[in-house]
Amino acid sequence: MLNPFFLQGSKGEQNLVQDLINEQIKMYGIDVHYIPRRFVTKKTVIEEVIQSKFDSAFPIEAYLISYDGYGGQGTLLSKFGIQDVDELILVVSKERFETYIAPLIKNLPNIELSTRPKEGDLIYFPLGDRIFEIKYVEHESPFYQLQKNYVYELKCELFRYEDEDFDTDIDQIDDNIVDQGYTKTFTMVGSGSTATAVTSVVNGAVSYISITNRGRGYTSTPTVAISSSPSPGGTAAGIATLITGIVDLCDPTGTGYRVQGVQLTNPGYGYTISPKVAFYGGGGEGAEAVSYISDGSIGIVTVTNGGSGYITAPQVSVVGSSATSAEVYSSITNGIVTSVTIVNSGAGYTESPTFIFSNPYMVGFGTYQYNETVIGSASSTTAKVNSWNANTNILELMNISGDFENDELVVGQESQAVYKIRIIEEFDITDPYSSNDEIEEESDAIIDFSEVNPFGMP
Amino acid sequence: MFEYFYHEIIRKTVIAFGTLFNKIQIRKTDDSGNVVSVIEVPLAYGPTQKFLARLEQSPDLNKPFQMNLPRMSFEISGINYDSRRKTTATQTFLSHSISDKSDIRKAYMPVPYDIDFELSIMTKQNDDMLQVIEQILPYFQPSYNLTVDLIESIGEKRDIPIILNSINMQDDYEGDFSTRRALIYTLRFTAKTYLFGPVSTDNATSDIIKKVSIGFVSGESNKSPTRELTYTVEPQATKNYTGTIVTNISNDVEVSDTTIEVNSASDISSKSYITINNETLYVKSKVSNKLTVERGQYNTPISLHVSGSEVKSITAQDNLLIEPGDDFGFSDSFV
Repeated sequence: MLNPFFLQGSKGEQNLVQDLINEQIKMYGIDVHYIPRRFVTKKTVIEEVIQSKFDSAFPIEAYLISYDGYGGQGTLLSKFGIQDVDELILVVSKERFETYIAPLIKNLPNIELSTRPKEGDLIYFPLGDRIFEIKYVEHESPFYQLQKNYVYELKCELFRYEDEDFDTDIDQIDDNIVDQGYTKTFTMVGSGSTATAVTSVVNGAVSYISITNRGRGYTSTPTVAISSSPSPGGTAAGIATLITGIVDLCDPTGTGYRVQGVQLTNPGYGYTISPKVAFYGGGGEGAEAVSYISDGSIGIVTVTNGGSGYITAPQVSVVGSSATSAEVYSSITNGIVTSVTIVNSGAGYTESPTFIFSNPYMVGFGTYQYNETVIGSASSTTAKVNSWNANTNILELMNISGDFENDELVVGQESQAVYKIRIIEEFDITDPYSSNDEIEEESDAIIDFSEVNPFGMP
Repeated sequence: MFEYFYHEIIRKTVIAFGTLFNKIQIRKTDDSGNVVSVIEVPLAYGPTQKFLARLEQSPDLNKPFQMNLPRMSFEISGINYDSRRKTTATQTFLSHSISDKSDIRKAYMPVPYDIDFELSIMTKQNDDMLQVIEQILPYFQPSYNLTVDLIESIGEKRDIPIILNSINMQDDYEGDFSTRRALIYTLRFTAKTYLFGPVSTDNATSDIIKKVSIGFVSGESNKSPTRELTYTVEPQATKNYTGTIVTNISNDVEVSDTTIEVNSASDISSKSYITINNETLYVKSKVSNKLTVERGQYNTPISLHVSGSEVKSITAQDNLLIEPGDDFGFSDSFV
């Protein structure tokens, strides 16, 4: 029979014990952050939360059960790389959780169960700057002293990171996911500059070359040969362009290449009659062309400034007084104009015409912030910023929702930074465990995917 | 007894096997079906040096997370002789490298070996695992062929079937809450590869036969035989090998032309062969800088040659540079 002179669990006694426990935890405990899990996507049938978000963190005092060190198996090397199997057991006050954290998280969207600490939520442990996942919440230890339980015992193990979204606005927590996941590297257009080029006026130059027979069966670009000029050093030169997809009796599948045209890299000078044009090599045969000459044509076009920031080769206008306007095309490498080829060198120029290149994208601005959301203006793809280098214009993104498009703007939702994509790199797995790139690089040298087994797969 | 050789065939087989599982992605969607995350699954050969793993994966000791998932790991689990693919052990063959056809080596027939692999996949969620598995399994019926350049020096490309033997599914979700769920699938494969013995380091036949002579001998019973006639055949190049340009043509040469004019014919002799672009021509005679030629020799295409085209002559020096595998003609003589 219980002692009738004690109440064995009156409200006052229970409150006293709770207050004493709260005091003890506040005196001997440490401050941790409680990070509730928000469910982004939950699959039915195969019951799983496949996408989670952690965007809030609440400081709360907790008593560390063992100051001797982490529990668990410590650091292991497995076939899946190094695993830190560290465990932690924390005690938090039941009253403090229910009166402080529960009201703050109960109205957050996609929070399942706010009345108690729950499995799957995270604890930020500041002493080790590490993030633990709650595996199990023990609510009956100590067991009903004065008919009530006063604490939650949180059994935690280090979190296994996949691609969860961390955006708690607490830098110590959010910076833990730098280079942890799967990023993609983008080279953005910074402040571009416009290219410039000059030329001269020459007489007896090849004005253009007309293809009279495309030939067939080319596998690579044939060499273009043009008759030598009577004037020493005045021989014209050109580059053939190819076309595929033409279906006829010679090529029923349309997979072979034919000569589409010739672009002049040098129109030459001093020709008195139209030079012959021949094609050699390239694996095909039959291509034929004729040339036409004229006076007052443009000569070799020299790029004096390649500019920068071009995503596609800029259009070039030839401005000058002439009987027939010249027509030229530019080509770029790494965003810089490297050459200008001539389709028609024109006729009747008395002075060197000027070239006007279309402008590159020149209005990129701002500084992307770490972990902010960015959105592609055309694709609407979203991602988070892993890093931004303003000097190299390299933007690393993580948590990517789809495929960004070349040439689209990437807009930072917090910084308002806007830059245009110039180059999209392949996936860059920053996980040091990964050997994907090395395997691919080595396999390129030894595996021949062009080989086809005529007998099919066994 | 044995000479040193190491073709890295097992290593190449490991790389080839790993390539099959590179670039596998996991995509996650929200409730509306929009993709919210794309992950490329990291892949690595599991066995590694412990200190290296520690240095690379825990450089600052204090990992904020236990590990990253998903991950795929593969390793060799066994090497077995495959007697069903056995060939004659003493048989040899000659082959040349892909880059240099004249570099011909002798090798013995390879020995067939099966290399067993284990591919382990660990994911955080079953949904991830199913995505990975579904991207792998359809390619194996039950095998997938890879063409691997096992020995570059002899250009030995072999089809290596990778056969999927079994799939072991481990999903430990039961038990108390102190143990995490472990979701690991293990796929077992066999790669039917070939191991090669030593390949001759010397060029097996570095040259073509340069001269063949046949003597006709006659004699009588009471008279010692004497050699009456010797017929000699030597290979003759059909194209220029030295790359030496002797002159350039000074006028355009149409397809129907049999007379061509060059800048200087001093280095061209009559009754010799020259090449212009891809065409070989026979110089019948020359007068000053004009050559009378026969076009399209050795079945080379007769084509237009523009003025300024390079003229190369075919000389005895080119005959010595004919490479095995090339077409060539013959010159003969009687003595």
